[in-house]
Amino acid sequence: MNILRQGIVALTGVSVAAVLAIGASYAQDETNKPDKDRLPFVVINKNPYPSTYEPFPSVTVMIENATILTGTGEQLENASILMAKGKIVAVGTDLQAPYGTKIIDGTGKWVTPGIIDVHSHLGVYASPGHKSLSDGNEMTSPVTADVWAEHSIWPQDPGFSRAIAGGVTTLQILPGSANLIGGRAVTVKNIPSRTAEGMKFPGAPYGLKMACGENPKRVYGKKGGPATRMANMAGYRTAWIKAKEYKAKWAAYNRDYKAGKDVKAPAQDLELDTLMGVLDGEILIHNHCYRADEMVSMINMAHEFNYRISTFHHAVESYKIADILAKEKVCSAMWSDWWGFKLEAFDGIDENIPMVANAKACAIVHSDSPDGIQRLNQEAAKAWADGKAAGINFTRAEAFTWLTLNAAKALGIDHETGSLEKGKMADVVIWSADPFSVYSLSEKVFIDGALMYDRNDPATDWQSDFELGQNKKGAHQ
Amino acid sequence: MRKSLLKIIAAASVAISGTAFVSHAETLAIKGGTLHTMSKKGVLNNATILIKDGRITAVGQNITIPANAEIINAVGKIIIPGAMHSGSRLALSEISMTEDSNEHSAKKSPFSAAFDVQYGLRSNSVVVADNRRQGLTHAITQPSGSDGIFYGSSALISLTGDADMRHGKGPMIANPANGGNRNVSWAKIRLIFDQVKFYEQNRNRIKRGEWSNDFLLSGYNMDALIAVLKGRQKLVLMVNSEDDLRQAIALKRDYKLDIILSGATEAWKVARELVAAKIPVIIDPLEDLPGDFGKLAATLRHAALLDAAGVTFAISPGGMAANHNAFHIYQMAGLAVAHGLGWEQALAAITIRPAEIFGFDKILGSIEKGKLANLVVWDGDPLEVTSNTSYVIVGGVNHPLVSRRTLLRDRYLDLTKKPLAFQ
Repeated sequence: MNILRQGIVALTGVSVAAVLAIGASYAQDETNKPDKDRLPFVVINKNPYPSTYEPFPSVTVMIENATILTGTGEQLENASILMAKGKIVAVGTDLQAPYGTKIIDGTGKWVTPGIIDVHSHLGVYASPGHKSLSDGNEMTSPVTADVWAEHSIWPQDPGFSRAIAGGVTTLQILPGSANLIGGRAVTVKNIPSRTAEGMKFPGAPYGLKMACGENPKRVYGKKGGPATRMANMAGYRTAWIKAKEYKAKWAAYNRDYKAGKDVKAPAQDLELDTLMGVLDGEILIHNHCYRADEMVSMINMAHEFNYRISTFHHAVESYKIADILAKEKVCSAMWSDWWGFKLEAFDGIDENIPMVANAKACAIVHSDSPDGIQRLNQEAAKAWADGKAAGINFTRAEAFTWLTLNAAKALGIDHETGSLEKGKMADVVIWSADPFSVYSLSEKVFIDGALMYDRNDPATDWQSDFELGQNKKGAHQ
Repeated sequence: MRKSLLKIIAAASVAISGTAFVSHAETLAIKGGTLHTMSKKGVLNNATILIKDGRITAVGQNITIPANAEIINAVGKIIIPGAMHSGSRLALSEISMTEDSNEHSAKKSPFSAAFDVQYGLRSNSVVVADNRRQGLTHAITQPSGSDGIFYGSSALISLTGDADMRHGKGPMIANPANGGNRNVSWAKIRLIFDQVKFYEQNRNRIKRGEWSNDFLLSGYNMDALIAVLKGRQKLVLMVNSEDDLRQAIALKRDYKLDIILSGATEAWKVARELVAAKIPVIIDPLEDLPGDFGKLAATLRHAALLDAAGVTFAISPGGMAANHNAFHIYQMAGLAVAHGLGWEQALAAITIRPAEIFGFDKILGSIEKGKLANLVVWDGDPLEVTSNTSYVIVGGVNHPLVSRRTLLRDRYLDLTKKPLAFQ
């Protein structure tokens, strides 16, 4: 019971997960007192590896006289932002700082929400790139919905410390794209930690990685299939049919038990637990998919089995179906200009992101790269400028939502972070100049109000255990 | 419907064939703007560049423009020599990650050093056309691998999009790491050059079978290394760790080879030795992760550190930016500036410096009389991610800023305009 209460407290504020059942696998429900004539009521523990994240210590801080991109599409000049107790207290041009507030002069600087990368493999494909650390793709079966990326994350990946210097405060870490259904993705705060649990974004819903197209074909073509795109579709559909049966079994069990019957709970199946979580709207689909036609097939399949797709990842052809994506309310997480490395990426264009946004579909800039994650602001800048050259005129402030609020929406955490609004987590970046410039660098990065990175204070540099004694701290920058 | 389709096809053929619709004025004049010559003339304001038959015929402030010249108005713009990629796969692959479209690897063939990319260049590559529109005008295009240490000979190409793209042979490419562990590979390289020396001196007797064949390479692969051994062809060694960089320096000392080091992640740690040995390096400024134990000292300040130490270096991005995104070279030069390199030095590191390093500075790398007319007119700072090209001149031809990718954009720009090509 204690476990139950604590769990619920830890999970308040979850947006998508309507009801998260908490507790040990065989917890006894209050409403179903043990009955010696009946088996105990079984509830699946949906959160067996809860977040142990706690914000780092912070002080009350006000950044004054800066150019602020709010992450909601607005740009404020000569503005201030006040942060206290890990939250944003106020943003505006006429703020009063309480006594004892640490004041930071933002003259000439730009302030933005922390960048959120919805597609990272940091920790699961860590540096150094040795086989021992290749933990991102469970290439043993085309459907591995039972694996969880958080169980592969190596928190000592030096890549996390490089990403914070790029202003990244939150990231989703996914399994790779070899499999039709690759496993659970997890959203983490970008902080130094001894454990993956210590990084987990409290209350963030899980993601489920799916993959279209070439990768599953290439990996399984000579290993029993799928060898074709049509078999890809058959593979997903077969999995959803099983998930529906599983969901029906549990629904029948819950109904019958509550009706007083002495029924045995269905056998727990890790793979189907995850798929059922999607059907219940608790787990968000993050679908690696390049081609427009395949994305539409995936949307149709979601309708067939009555679940929602949060986001297509890579989505290099989203510009061809931006109207459909807007209508279906599916986000696209994209590179600014990568193309042609595979045939399914051959139609990638530099204006994909602004064209998707212009159709009022949800556009996100993502990295999928330990290098790219360090410069997502430049990726947004390129897309923004290429859009302008093609006659699509977004403001910088609007374009910055591609890095922040839209990404937060895709991860189901937009009520807590992704914009500089009162009451939200104080995940904030101070840039040396306009972040749409190649010459602009992050100067300070706050996570939950704590100063986690300061370019001018080497004491704040992180050094992973791996680099300790091998490399001078901070020498990489 | 049919008419608009035909238009699209016609437009596409412009991009694909490159020269079909491009301007062929006898003389081209670029007038005004800020001209970074990257020559002794430095920066010129409101100058004129005359171009005739593919070459620059005059650069200066008091130049009379011939009456028949096509004039490009560059007022308010920035003119630079086109950027040069120092290790690309351009014109050798339309799709990077597939063997279905790959002319750059000698794997599973008998060739290593004897592989030469001169026969498999694709004249109408859409990858070349797209990089050209983004301001890349010439490149070393090189083999990606073989079953041994030597990958074969590269080529210098201009991004003309035509069969005339290849200027000549580039350096021999070698990757010691492909020869086994470090003890195996450096011993192999030295043994191979010892054997090539012996082979070259006794070639006819060896061919007659007077020695039992215990050579590490076949005769035709050794033939291809004679020019390298004699210092007539440069040798690019792909090495990263400070220890491998020192091995490369020793190799140059012992065999008198003309060596360029590529990758060179930890070059800043052996900067003094590189300067003394007069060895130039090609670096990718984004490297800051310990990708392996030979890259622990990777740093974003690499270019700035090399510059301060006096090492000759060029900037050239790798990975995805070796082919489809080769135009990232400008952004990477900008990144080096953000991390401490001077702006002019960064521009030099993608224009004149690579031309000098590869020995092509007599024909390329700066805007000077007599050089090939490969240059770019930018609407702003060329190293800035929000700038765009206004004009791209390759081989004296003013190419339209069109590629298959811009045609795709235009086809889908307005989704309400029915019918689309496909629905």
